[in-house]
Amino acid sequence: MTKEMREHKIETPKEKQNRHKAMEAKTVLQKIKHEFKEPPKAMDYFYNLYESVHCRHEPLHNDKIKVGTMCIQVPAEIVYALDAVPIRLCNGFYTDDEIGSDFLPSKACPLVKATVGQFASDNFSDKPDIVISPTTCDQKAKSGAIIEEMGYKLFDMEFPRTKESEESREYWRRSVRKFTKELSTDLGKKITRKKLKEAIKKVGYAQHLYHKLNVLRKNIATPILGVDMFLVTNAFFFDKIDNWIEAVDALVQECEQRVEDEFSAAHKRSPRIVYTGSPPIFPNLKVPLLIELSDAIIVADETCSSNRMFNDMVSVDEWFVNDMIDSVADRYLKGCTCPIFTKNEDRKRRIIDLVKDYKADGVVYQAFAGCQVYEMEQRSVLDAMEKEGIPIIYLESDYSPSHMGQLTTRIEAFVESLKNRRRKR
Amino acid sequence: MKKIKDFINKADIRRFRFWLQLFFFILFIYGGYFSINLGNSIPVFSCGYDKEVGGMCYFLPLQHQLARPLDVLFSVASISVLIGFVTFLVWFIVFNKAWCGYACPLGTMQDWLTGLRKKLGIRYSTYTQPQFDKLKKIKYILLAIVILAPMAVGMGLLGGEWRTAFCSICPGRMITPLFVGDVSQWSLDFSTKSAMILTTLGLVFTGLFVVGSFIKKRFFCFFCPMSAMHYIFSDAALLKLKKDGDKCTKCGDCYTVCDMQIKDIADDVKSTNILRDDCILCMKCVAACPEDDVLHVDFINYPIFKSTKGGFAKRMQMDELEKKDD
Ligand code: SF4
Ligand code: SF4
Ligand code: SF4
Ligand code: SF4
Ligand code: SF4
Repeated sequence: MTKEMREHKIETPKEKQNRHKAMEAKTVLQKIKHEFKEPPKAMDYFYNLYESVHCRHEPLHNDKIKVGTMCIQVPAEIVYALDAVPIRLCNGFYTDDEIGSDFLPSKACPLVKATVGQFASDNFSDKPDIVISPTTCDQKAKSGAIIEEMGYKLFDMEFPRTKESEESREYWRRSVRKFTKELSTDLGKKITRKKLKEAIKKVGYAQHLYHKLNVLRKNIATPILGVDMFLVTNAFFFDKIDNWIEAVDALVQECEQRVEDEFSAAHKRSPRIVYTGSPPIFPNLKVPLLIELSDAIIVADETCSSNRMFNDMVSVDEWFVNDMIDSVADRYLKGCTCPIFTKNEDRKRRIIDLVKDYKADGVVYQAFAGCQVYEMEQRSVLDAMEKEGIPIIYLESDYSPSHMGQLTTRIEAFVESLKNRRRKR
Repeated sequence: MKKIKDFINKADIRRFRFWLQLFFFILFIYGGYFSINLGNSIPVFSCGYDKEVGGMCYFLPLQHQLARPLDVLFSVASISVLIGFVTFLVWFIVFNKAWCGYACPLGTMQDWLTGLRKKLGIRYSTYTQPQFDKLKKIKYILLAIVILAPMAVGMGLLGGEWRTAFCSICPGRMITPLFVGDVSQWSLDFSTKSAMILTTLGLVFTGLFVVGSFIKKRFFCFFCPMSAMHYIFSDAALLKLKKDGDKCTKCGDCYTVCDMQIKDIADDVKSTNILRDDCILCMKCVAACPEDDVLHVDFINYPIFKSTKGGFAKRMQMDELEKKDD
């Protein structure tokens, strides 16, 4: 038999799914790599990582217990302290979105559909041993049960939907303590003071590096594109933390050099954008790509797949296990600007602050069609920006490759208006 | 200049605070041995019952001064009362509540008890918010006792033993002299019924003080009438705790480390002057704030210590990876 003939054997559904996913991933990576100015050398690590994980579907954590997480509120520090790795399962693949459509209402959020879709197809390069589902938005909370029914081990982590009160803080702290206890029993590992402290410091260091990189974007000659930043932050979902740290360390140094050389990843006149709304998750970097292909540059973001994942830090007063766990709990509740909370003054203040701090010209607010919470908050954010005189555009999108034309036109028009506005000033 | 600022903002304020507290402790408790006398209008509990005190707690003279008949109290004869008060104000206005966080011997003792607990690996306790809201009012009642009891004595409404009613129940009276080897305060006064009650209360409060601050950080400061008195004048102080709410993410890091459980420090994004009545201006919150320039301590509007991302990471030891030795 020749090689060709063997390749003609019938593709299994899994192989087909993987082929489609690899195609999605490749298309996006190609665009990011080749349609802009030269990316920093240190980005190669990330391009290769995505190629390995999302195109070739190679596992990264064979030797470790994998704890799948459905939202950012699952404390990574605690998972690491228990010798496991957290893997965020929020999914950006259209292929999986289509599979998931069979399990959820047609108007459901594509992110949730894609996540459920991946579970339905049971096709993971790093399959989670246990799934933690914080009760954030309705769709996520309810899809937890659907996933559990498919036969996965799942832990519902109770998350309050108000955050201002002391009661909710106490409730969440208890929830985190319970989670720690159950996960520790489940994995047969004891949480020790030393391990937890190490984990807090390591995650803290990763955050510290992110901040170092992020503040470089304040420079008028912004050294790195928003799409590249999304790749960097998205990689934290699944990468080995030590490797990630090393890679970002190199990236920071390179970008610092770029700042010194006044090298800009975009053009001098490119309008500066703050990105907010439903999280862009690889390979669904559609809107960020459209923005930057329209000669604007994303200089900051307020999304849970990027900035929000790193922004708030753990502060500990006394390094005892209980105090550390409580401090970790606070990190994931108090500063969180997730739209599932009743009020969201903090999110508005945050966006305004980012616009000022990063000298942005406008805000792009993107919501997934079906992501109720972001859709519902849109109005109030738009009002708040208007009051501050900050231009903002609201876009609705999904994972499908169609309808690109309309999105492109709107984004280009918005970028053009920002340019005009600048010229007038 | 920038370098100096950077250095200060990244400083490990814990160590700085420890040494400063020790310095003031020696100054106030043992000052007498070095013939140091900073007067008797000191705005913290450096107890006057300590024979070697280097500067006396203002409450002791205040109570004595107030215990005069009203017509004397409000006549020229009481000019000394006014002078004492003005001196108190001057001391206070310069450093604001930092007196509590850095200089008060009774505060320092509580921190040492906390240190001891930490060494023993025992976890602290906290008040729940409703408890906290109720308990914090006690200090105003105690302040009322400080002021009204001696005045009632002056008016002849109460017996002489009420002249320094607060001192009788203040833990400072029994504990501070111990440091110079004086145990004479450790006795019950059986002369009158109220004296007996007061001294018994004193003993109880002293016990509470020791046990309380062992398990709860700055246990006594929640009830301290001096702190209540401070708060009345704190708006006029030169040293201020300030906040830029626009940049605050309400992450609560400051609140988590605050010994006084002051929720406003994180949640209030409107006030620029963020000093609350319980605050001891220890600046732990500033050190624990991970956002640039959100919290800062100003001296006459000049920021001397600011929250910074870099300083936070350094103090939490998150600015470099730990060397693995195993
Ligand atoms: S916005 Fe909130 S609910 Fe939605 S994915 Fe992010 S963390 Fe989860
Ligand atoms: S007993 Fe208390 S109030 Fe009286 S002088 Fe001493 S420390 Fe001050
Ligand atoms: S509040 Fe605490 S530190 Fe301040 S004077 Fe009272 S006891 Fe001393
Ligand atoms: S630590 Fe800083 S940013 Fe966080 S709540 Fe406190 S003041 Fe705000
Ligand atoms: S608010 Fe800040 S300065 Fe005041 S007591 Fe709390 S931590 Fe200390």
